[in-house]
Amino acid sequence: MTEMTALDTLVPGPLSLAGHRLGTPQQAGALTMVPISGPDRPGYVPPRTGLKLSRVTGYGRLELRNGAADGVAIVPLHIGYVQDAAQNHALCRSAFLAPGQKLLFEDACCVQQTQGGYLTGRDQWFFVLPGELRARALELRGVHGYAKLWADIAELNQRCGLPRRGHLEQILSRQRPVLTQFQSRLEPQPGQVGALFLIDGRFAGLEICPGPRYFAEMWPALACFAYGVAAWRAEPAPAPAAPYSAATLAELRGALDRDRAARLTGIAARLAAAALDEAADVQEEERYLDLRLSTVTGPHLAGQVVTDGGHAVYASLFAR
Amino acid sequence: MDTPTLLAHLQTHDTPLTLPRGGTLRWDDADVHRAAHAAGPEHYALLALAPGALPWQRARVLLQTLAASQAGLDDATRDTLARLARVLTLALPPAHVITVLLALRRLRANHKHTTRAVLRFVLEHPDADALIAARRPALLDCFEHALGKTAARGCARRIDDGDTGSDYLRRRLLRFLAVPAAAPARVQALYAAAAPAPTATGAAGAGAARPLPDEPALTLDTARRQPPTVTATNRGDIAATLVHLYRGGPAEDLYAALGRYVDDAARAFPRFAGTVALVLDASASMRGYGEREWAVLSQAAALRMLLSRVCDRLEVVEVGGDERAPRGATDLATGVLDALAAAPDLVAVVSDGYENRFPGDLARVTATLPRAGVTTPVVFCHALFTAADDLALRRPDPSLPQRGFWHQDDFTALLPWMFAHCPAGRPWLRTALHARLDALDRQAADLTTALAA
Repeated sequence: MTEMTALDTLVPGPLSLAGHRLGTPQQAGALTMVPISGPDRPGYVPPRTGLKLSRVTGYGRLELRNGAADGVAIVPLHIGYVQDAAQNHALCRSAFLAPGQKLLFEDACCVQQTQGGYLTGRDQWFFVLPGELRARALELRGVHGYAKLWADIAELNQRCGLPRRGHLEQILSRQRPVLTQFQSRLEPQPGQVGALFLIDGRFAGLEICPGPRYFAEMWPALACFAYGVAAWRAEPAPAPAAPYSAATLAELRGALDRDRAARLTGIAARLAAAALDEAADVQEEERYLDLRLSTVTGPHLAGQVVTDGGHAVYASLFAR
Repeated sequence: MDTPTLLAHLQTHDTPLTLPRGGTLRWDDADVHRAAHAAGPEHYALLALAPGALPWQRARVLLQTLAASQAGLDDATRDTLARLARVLTLALPPAHVITVLLALRRLRANHKHTTRAVLRFVLEHPDADALIAARRPALLDCFEHALGKTAARGCARRIDDGDTGSDYLRRRLLRFLAVPAAAPARVQALYAAAAPAPTATGAAGAGAARPLPDEPALTLDTARRQPPTVTATNRGDIAATLVHLYRGGPAEDLYAALGRYVDDAARAFPRFAGTVALVLDASASMRGYGEREWAVLSQAAALRMLLSRVCDRLEVVEVGGDERAPRGATDLATGVLDALAAAPDLVAVVSDGYENRFPGDLARVTATLPRAGVTTPVVFCHALFTAADDLALRRPDPSLPQRGFWHQDDFTALLPWMFAHCPAGRPWLRTALHARLDALDRQAADLTTALAA
């Protein structure tokens, strides 16, 4: 894997990731990130600098705008916004926004049960729903009802040892000092367009973006929130350092290299065992020119992908 | 006890010396100080001047130095210890010094160097009048202990009779002092009648006890002023200039200023006659993001620049990317192995502590070094954004000696701490602390001159 491995054999058949390659894994606590390099596709608006929250017209109704003069915006799957004194919202699906276009998501979900007030365009800090909520949120795409995710949020809070309430900010805001450290504990590579995430050695998600800039703008939301929450819950206790069996510096270097090679082999084996290439249902949801937005539902993973002539431009697939 | 351990003790063990009325001196770490003194009185005593040593630890060094015999020490060492005692009596809060002097009395320490230090504090401290007014009985006890009760009272009687320079007075008292002319009035004040009780209106008489001055006459560690908000550019001149360079500021002006700032900073340190191998974390997290972008890396780069001026040889192993283009993952374990290949006197790892290829590898490698026959010390210099950083997830090898830094001012304590870990650092430490003693001694002499005037 240190020599970069092709990725297209690891994912469901309809999704071609030809040209994308895996890099050397990094690890932070329970979270392993395998960098993915790939093509930098022009014509796509990055989510932080290009995609803007316009307003919330009512609970569960959130409007986004593609503020760029050119380039299509692919709305990241399960993006959400947090603002003080406003009811935080998240989206259940991805979408396309042409340049200058606004789109009202009437199937958005409120993630802060008892907070009043509408989000406005003043603050564009966004997150991605924690992995534990993503499968349910995806199921609820197209369903109107701002309270539809509260029960799942409450259950997640309880699993985190927090009060059982439909308030996602109990995790996102109160645990922010710990969660945001994942942004630094793992370090994106130059040219990185995606990542495979494992938590506790098990596949947790695959993220592919149209280019390095798009991925860089997604990185905090993915590392800290989409995958960081589960990793925070699984943070292992520090283990004592066991010395290698080495009598010289050269032997020590050799022992370290062998140990690392074994760990990389283990990660590759766990990815192979994740059965990501199992047959999955692929349902087209939207089109924009040659782009197709589809929902993928497999036995062990789900998510949405954007393809252009069969090649993956964007993917957000997570374990279910 | 090795120097780093003793230094850490002096900088962290913060309990006071106490003298319960009628009881014995409470000195919880006396064994540590006695052993360190026995191993080398001058080296031990000089460490009290190390930046960041705590006042009560400096007081213990003063106590140990004054309580111990100087038999067998050469004149140069005795001179150093005398100057150090003088500096400490002026640089510690007066209450601490009085506790030390009373402890010496309790320990019945009455060497000549003890007598000199006690008398110069009681009679020649810049605030001696105020100290006597505030703690007259205690200082009288110290005075009588230093001279012996009979001699002390004999001197006082003669001074009361107008004697200012008799042979008796010279031999018993004045020969210990730098400014003999100031002594008579203060001896008289020590033996003045006790203050009358407060009047019915609550007003104290003219001789009533007054508050003890609590400010030292000399400043050992300049108080740090923490900015209300720490930014990328208020962490010292070198780092601020580097941040502007990294941001693409006018290179010519900035480089010229950078050279001056590094020269100024390096001037404060002696040359280190050895090799330091610096494992410099230049990964993506060191660059940071948002308002903190470049803050941590710039200070790490400032340390590198300073060490390049101070050390005879500096080998730098960059991990991840490089200083101007930090990127990628953090492999500190390989960095340390590469650094050891340079056969340095010291390996210093400079990192924010986020090790991700793979976490735990640095700890395993350093745990193996002794088995691999490597005795080179490895220290971890924690690159921080502020002193309040949460390091719970940022200690890649808790077994390594580690110290944080976020501001250029931290280098004052960081360098002695680093060099103290290697044998080549011992002469560096001695030179640095002697230079500090010389500077403080000059300030003490100025105070004495002012007293004479």
